[in-house]
Amino acid sequence: MTLERVESEITGNVWKIEVKPGDKVEAEDVIMILESMKMEIPVEAPCAGTIKEILVSEEDAVDEDQVLATIES
Amino acid sequence: MKAAVLREANIPMEIEEVQISKPGPREVLVRPIAAGVCHSDLHFMDGSYPYMLPTILGHESAGVVEQVGSDVTYVKKGDHVITCLSAFCGHCNKCLTGHLSLCNSPEVSRKAEEAPRIAQGSDTIHQFLNLSSFAELMLIHEHALVKVREDMPMDRAALIGCSTTTGVGAVFHTAKVEPGSTVAVIGCGGVGLAAINGAALAGAARIIAVDMVDSKLELAKSVGATDIVNASSGNAVGEVIEMTQGGCDYTFEAIGLKATAEQSFQMLCPGGVATIIGMIPPGTMVELQGVDFLSEKKIQGSNMGSNRFRVDMPRFVDFYLDGKLHLDQMISKHIKLNEINEALTALKSGQEARHIIMFD
Ligand SMILES: NC(=O)c1ccc[n+]([C@@H]2O[C@H](COP(=O)([O-])OP(=O)(O)OC[C@H]3O[C@@H](n4cnc5c(N)ncnc54)[C@H](O)[C@@H]3O)[C@@H](O)[C@H]2O)c1
Ligand SMILES: [Zn+2]
Ligand SMILES: [Zn+2]
Repeated sequence: MTLERVESEITGNVWKIEVKPGDKVEAEDVIMILESMKMEIPVEAPCAGTIKEILVSEEDAVDEDQVLATIES
Repeated sequence: MKAAVLREANIPMEIEEVQISKPGPREVLVRPIAAGVCHSDLHFMDGSYPYMLPTILGHESAGVVEQVGSDVTYVKKGDHVITCLSAFCGHCNKCLTGHLSLCNSPEVSRKAEEAPRIAQGSDTIHQFLNLSSFAELMLIHEHALVKVREDMPMDRAALIGCSTTTGVGAVFHTAKVEPGSTVAVIGCGGVGLAAINGAALAGAARIIAVDMVDSKLELAKSVGATDIVNASSGNAVGEVIEMTQGGCDYTFEAIGLKATAEQSFQMLCPGGVATIIGMIPPGTMVELQGVDFLSEKKIQGSNMGSNRFRVDMPRFVDFYLDGKLHLDQMISKHIKLNEINEALTALKSGQEARHIIMFD
């Protein structure tokens, strides 16, 4: 079993979190939606697995490369 | 209402029936009359920029107010408006220090728990940049539009909604081009041509247009370029440096590529400023020679021309009606909403300027 990190590609704010720890996800499922310079940007699961941790909350500011969640695959 | 819905990147959009919500207290329902097709729409259509799907693209439009929310006093039914993606909250640090186009406040969108502005049955259609103008109606925050003169033709007004504001604004507000200076603009599409026109209005002595398509370079001359360089020779930087005997005071990149962003920095004279307007895809790095900082060369980004659009757009309307802003030749074709996929394909080729959707 490996732990995959879900990272943000951009600087922005967390608008909506779509999953919770324990949820099963497929690769490319939307984990959360970020808002950055008016854009609604999806953060997708890099692989299939189970959400281990969500490391941010809605309305949090996030930076490029910040780890937003982890997935056990 | 009918709208062009993007369900998957690179898959042609279909015209679908979708539902638009009623205006909330600070929202306005606008019936677009004209909508331009901008390269930014293409970046999201081809997936080089990610976006929540399904969505309805389009962000360069002008129209008529159809209905206003209970707290809206700025406009009324029948007013002519231009929309702008730079919706501002009016009370955050960015807004209060005069950087309205950098406002990142979520309050101009609906909250995650509210009903979405656009839906299809029980499914959310994600609004694009708080606008979504490839649709028969738009439901937007009152701070995402500006009232304009009714003698302004709607198709030209639509251009002001993005390309004019972005290009002219980058020159006036972001770079603050000085009269008598030397300017180069790389990429002569809707945005680059507007930057050239803006540089001419700002009094630049020399304006060098760079593109790979000869017809674009001809258009550039008609809006104020004094010199042209066809970049397909592969030596645009060398040619610009030779022409200016050492580089430009200001350069503008209006394409969205790593290579041309780097070229815009290489074309500067000591002390010069490069302004990147093009949308470079996330994850792409731009590389510069560190030694160039010793000669005080600078590089900066520009978002929607660092606009204060409620002030800027009515001025641009006056500029057009006074013959100073050349918007007529920017429009290569008027189309219908169902021709949107062909318009985006044409934009990809670089051969044409703006296509404008006219709604019935
Ligand atoms: N920063 C902002 O706020 C903002 C706003 C609007 C648009 N944009 C971006 O600005 C860019 C330009 O938009 P547009 O609608 O004018 O695009 P466009 O497609 O109309 O024009 C691009 C032009 O660049 C030319 N070109 C392409 N590759 C070239 C190269 N290697 N060398 C020289 N010329 C080349 C094409 O021939 C074309 O004339 C896009 O990236 C768009 O997303 C940014
Ligand atoms: Zn645009
Ligand atoms: Zn604000």
